[in-house]
Amino acid sequence: MPTTLDTTRFGTYGGTFAPETLMAPLFELDREWKRWTNDAAFQAELADLLANFAGRPTALTHAKRLSKELGCELWLKREDLLHTGAHKLNNTLGQCLLAQRMGKRRVVAETGAGQHGVASATACALLGLECVVYMGSVDAARQRMNVLRMELLGATVRVVEHGQKTLKDAINEAMRAWVADPTETHYALGSVLGPHPFPSIVAGFQEVIGREARKEFHARTGKLPDVVVACVGGGSNAIGIFRPFLPDAAVELVGVEAGGLGVGKGQQHAARFAGGEPGVLHGCYTYLLQDDDGQIRPTHSISAGLDYPAVGPEHAMLHDEQRARYAWATDDEALRGFEVLAEREGILCALESAHAVGWVLRERAELAGKRVLVNLSGRGDKDLDTIAAARRAKDGA
Amino acid sequence: MSAVDKLELRLRALRSTGRKGIAPYVTAGDGGSAVTLAVLRELADLDVPCVELGLPFSDPIADGPLLQAANDRALATGTTFEEVLEILSRFRRGGPGEMGRDLPVIVMSYANPLVRRGWANAVNALARAGADGLLVADLPIEEAGAMHAAARAAGIAPIFFVAPTTSEQRTTTAIQLSRGFVYAIGRLGVTGARTELDEPAQAFLSRVRRVAGGLPVAVGFGITSAEDVSAALRHADLAIVGSAFVEHVHQAVSQAVAPRKLDAARLATREFLQVLASGVPG
Repeated sequence: MPTTLDTTRFGTYGGTFAPETLMAPLFELDREWKRWTNDAAFQAELADLLANFAGRPTALTHAKRLSKELGCELWLKREDLLHTGAHKLNNTLGQCLLAQRMGKRRVVAETGAGQHGVASATACALLGLECVVYMGSVDAARQRMNVLRMELLGATVRVVEHGQKTLKDAINEAMRAWVADPTETHYALGSVLGPHPFPSIVAGFQEVIGREARKEFHARTGKLPDVVVACVGGGSNAIGIFRPFLPDAAVELVGVEAGGLGVGKGQQHAARFAGGEPGVLHGCYTYLLQDDDGQIRPTHSISAGLDYPAVGPEHAMLHDEQRARYAWATDDEALRGFEVLAEREGILCALESAHAVGWVLRERAELAGKRVLVNLSGRGDKDLDTIAAARRAKDGA
Repeated sequence: MSAVDKLELRLRALRSTGRKGIAPYVTAGDGGSAVTLAVLRELADLDVPCVELGLPFSDPIADGPLLQAANDRALATGTTFEEVLEILSRFRRGGPGEMGRDLPVIVMSYANPLVRRGWANAVNALARAGADGLLVADLPIEEAGAMHAAARAAGIAPIFFVAPTTSEQRTTTAIQLSRGFVYAIGRLGVTGARTELDEPAQAFLSRVRRVAGGLPVAVGFGITSAEDVSAALRHADLAIVGSAFVEHVHQAVSQAVAPRKLDAARLATREFLQVLASGVPG
């Protein structure tokens, strides 16, 4: 067997399980990505965009009232303050610059919560690229403000009506669109998922979160955090903040998945480590929610961005190596996290990020006295309809 | 004689007589197991060179809307891996009023349903049920070590894809690793969309034909008419017809009343193959 792609794995996870028509574009992407990540001019241009367009570095906030209440030292990495309102722009600026260097004129992307779609539309508008975003109709309904934002930024939003009509189905469609026109099109995958080299490309562009957070945390406290917490859908904000802490063995890393309505048997959730087993979806070998027959199981989360049956392969490796721990928070715990952060700290965070906060609230006993760094991956404006509906339902119940 | 030998003998015989043929694709369990069996039996009676039997998967990323819908329908009727094995063995064994058939069957799957069981287990089970070859849509040669070994050990043909964008070197490797035939994807994109096998596509097929030497070449993706078949068979030995065939049978079956569904499936199969056969040279 050819061994060209054997460097493409994270332990036994990852790989390139792609249809043959995608192999040539994936090889091209692998080549070009390696070339440009080592190119000083490319890196300088990206650094300039991150600083002067996107607003990096993002703040590190000491959440003092909540710290006092919980009995720990709680710090927030504020990716919610990044332009477009989430960490996703770190990746799309990088990938769209890459697309431009590769001579592509069109970018396709999938989106769940709409944040990657908005970030793609934004980077494409900035760099003069055509943008097509695929979004499941369930997500388009619950994130309609983001659909409008993408359209205002000049992108075409294609609503996907088949399957579960969420992120998984949007990825299916974006991959099909790329297969049909790989010469002119770049597929800007939004998370640390998919066939090689996507998980490595996206992680590389998101590492900036952890580099800044580690440096700033140390500058402000003279120490490193005891625990770093991030929500995990595909897992790009989590990998972004985890990676620079990997060599710091004393720093515990916690990924929080969507526990949905509960992770018990027969309950609907998107906690791949709690209820999944390794398999192949969307080009990589990783933990999946699947049935005994290898069919992908339906998922549920109140947050569209975590509502996905597979987790990035690097997380699968970190899980098996026990370098990171993976936990979950339910819809209700995430809502509670959202409310507490709003009331005590004046921050409306995304429902995705609220899972990390909800986990901290639940585990306050374990975290007592510790320095805890939470990656606040996005802001919550997009979720206000969902949150209002959930509060109404609770009041009615 | 192993399944590989049977498949290769049949396809090489086809080549040596200058006969070429249509190899239809069927999604297992679309319309229910009985419909799939009826279609397979009709295809055997029509003496097609071989058939591709699709194992349904929830997320078929290489397929267009028609085959995605067929996969969804098959899963909705409860078509499991075990059920596909049962369809295959009943096709081989025969049953009340039906003799067993030896038409070569290539199972076409996505990786996960097979990974779920382990490659060796899955491939052995398929071989025992009577499969002659295996094609996996999202398993490029780089990831196919375990599948290739399992298929060779079980005596069934591992079959790989080549596309117009596949490099010369990988084309050569895919052909070396394939038994039975090599599957040339006629154009970029997913299954089902309209193909025009234009000059660049013909140049690609001619290149594959040259590298393949004695190995038969099948071409698929978007072949819907007799003209397409005729264009496909200028350089290839087999024209694979998937979406258009599946949709034609599905329409006929869903319009027929309950007791007539199997007859409708067989009639639709016969009609469709007759129309396409006019594109097969001499």
